[in-house]
Amino acid sequence: MSILLDSNSRVVVQGITGAMGTFFVSDSRRYGTNIVAGVSPGRGGGKVDGVPVFESVAAAVRKTKADTAMVFVPPTAVRSAAIEAIEAGCRLVVATADEMPVRDAIEIRAVAKANGARFIGPNTPGLISPGKAKMGFMPSFCYMPGHMGVISRSGSLSYEACKRLTLAGIGQSTVVGIGGDPVKGTTAMEALELFHADPDTKAVMYLGEIGGTEEAAVAAYAKRPGAKPVAALIVGATAPPGKKMGHAAALVGSKADSHEEKNRMLSRAGVHTAKGITNVVAQARAALKRAGL
Amino acid sequence: MLTLLVYALTALFHDYLLFLGMNQARYISIQKKGGIRMMILEHEAKRLLESAGITVPKGILIRSGNFAESRRVKQFPVALKAQVRSGGRGKQGGIVRVNGAVRLKAVAKKLFSTEFGGEMPESLLADPWLPVDRELYLSVTVDAAADGYVVLYSPNGGVEVEGGAPPVRYHVGAPWFFRAHNLRAILEPVEKDFQLRERVIALAQRLVDMAAAQDCTTVEINPLARLKTGELVALDAKIVYDEWAHYRNAGIAAQREGIRKRADKWLRACLDMQHMYVKLDGNIGLISGGAGMTMGAMDLIHEYGGKPACFFDCSPGPTSTRGYKPAFALLDHDPAVRVILVSVFGGGTQMNRVANAMKENMAMRKSKKPVVFRLDGTFVDQVPAIFSTYGAFNHDSLEGAVREAVRLAKKS
Repeated sequence: MSILLDSNSRVVVQGITGAMGTFFVSDSRRYGTNIVAGVSPGRGGGKVDGVPVFESVAAAVRKTKADTAMVFVPPTAVRSAAIEAIEAGCRLVVATADEMPVRDAIEIRAVAKANGARFIGPNTPGLISPGKAKMGFMPSFCYMPGHMGVISRSGSLSYEACKRLTLAGIGQSTVVGIGGDPVKGTTAMEALELFHADPDTKAVMYLGEIGGTEEAAVAAYAKRPGAKPVAALIVGATAPPGKKMGHAAALVGSKADSHEEKNRMLSRAGVHTAKGITNVVAQARAALKRAGL
Repeated sequence: MLTLLVYALTALFHDYLLFLGMNQARYISIQKKGGIRMMILEHEAKRLLESAGITVPKGILIRSGNFAESRRVKQFPVALKAQVRSGGRGKQGGIVRVNGAVRLKAVAKKLFSTEFGGEMPESLLADPWLPVDRELYLSVTVDAAADGYVVLYSPNGGVEVEGGAPPVRYHVGAPWFFRAHNLRAILEPVEKDFQLRERVIALAQRLVDMAAAQDCTTVEINPLARLKTGELVALDAKIVYDEWAHYRNAGIAAQREGIRKRADKWLRACLDMQHMYVKLDGNIGLISGGAGMTMGAMDLIHEYGGKPACFFDCSPGPTSTRGYKPAFALLDHDPAVRVILVSVFGGGTQMNRVANAMKENMAMRKSKKPVVFRLDGTFVDQVPAIFSTYGAFNHDSLEGAVREAVRLAKKS
């Protein structure tokens, strides 16, 4: 099992005629993603790599029963595209774009909530259910199927960490990039709840960074009776206070944002907290051991 | 009863605080060096508030080198306030009460020649010294816990907001969810003056609308003063813009252009490529992609006994030769940098293209500073063949590359 995405997900690609859209179609199909439609206003009726292109998501959903949308449009257009997909009935909408105004993320989140849909993004590599399907550009060789659910605020860090897990023989159920922005389509807590309910996920690895309050939610989950074992890596131990480190939310503003404080909070909650990247596999093993694996 | 004296004390300290509201009762003193990137100047923030129907003091702006402008100040006393994009100016003497024209000139001269948070003021704001009856705290900011905007209010503003009870919070979420009756229920226990309460609710609505329409991530009024006349006036204002809304907001585009203009030519070229650069105090010039991985590499450099010279995220538009060129130029030019470590783990960023971009950059570079590579991710299998044509080596682990960079940094 996996969460959110598997080989039965029927994917519509918005912006399929762009460079990213086209690359995504060839790369993700090779991996097993079931791409059923594309959308490119003004170019409906054509085909990309054999995938039919429609004028609107609603038309694509009508004709192909697409239920999952991948948004590859410029950051200035993500809000419109994501809301179109949600209102056309897609249950899962993924937008990887960074440099998107936070007000747009706020609006998409509100519309997703009102429609009972799930939005993943912005500023994320997407998500992958290893061996089944992927919604994003993550390098496929970094992943293998297994029982570790992974949640990450950072794309490249999740590639690095998952490659280490895979080389060590630790497979993943699903790897979700929740993104580095302050308002997220899916929060760490929401992703944790999904993994909690997934019988095939035995433990969760959380990849976080300085700033924000996601780590407090992770600690709160870990303390809950019956929680699945959690391992974590928080980066930014050496980031100077008061400087935004790339991600809008990666900023040490107060003591609670700091690496030291987050690690202390997580350890106290029983999370297997890695000292650094090189310690990730050991902590993942400890979490899996506690899960009886 | 609060008096002028309290305002004087408040003026010294309220500037030190900027509430980011990410958590209950958390205040942050904003960075001391270089200011918050997308924070606008107080006088700019006050113009924005004014345009949203919020009363601000009728201040006079005195620009550097334009002392003649100070002659427009006719009524004293005034609060003469250095206009800089960082906190702590009050504590550093950046806000001075001035009683007359002669003194104004002397104080202005001094303020213009003083650095506040690493920034020399380009202008001073001379605000009339107003008789304050009570000081309040009101702000709107973006908070994940609220799924969007949150309103914060404290009946005790100014300096008292720091030590007193934390402000109450009204989670708005998307701007269209603002409900006066919900905010009223939250304000009732802390604000007994019902007339004032109603005016605060009206102001809060305007602030939320403004934050959304103007793409502000923080709008803070501290203190919001009730004058002896009963009028509510924003004595100070802090506004932080959302950089990524630059394409739909002229003020944000201008702020970005200002940052670009103030940067030196090396940094400006990097900003034009949308690279994110933060200078640090070490000697290993780290070129990386993705914020998390960059921080992960920084942490490992420290673990192995080295120090990074920068946080340098080159992930936007990274696969072209042109994209990396200004990054190398900046680090080659920086005398503190002894060795350059390129650490990129790409998904959509394809490593064959990065390797070719590196090859072309190495051919163009004149600097002899050593470069250590660790490329991994999509199409990494093509990298060794590309690198072998010009004698570069690609480390297959982050550990190996960092260890080598630390060794070279110590040697040189």
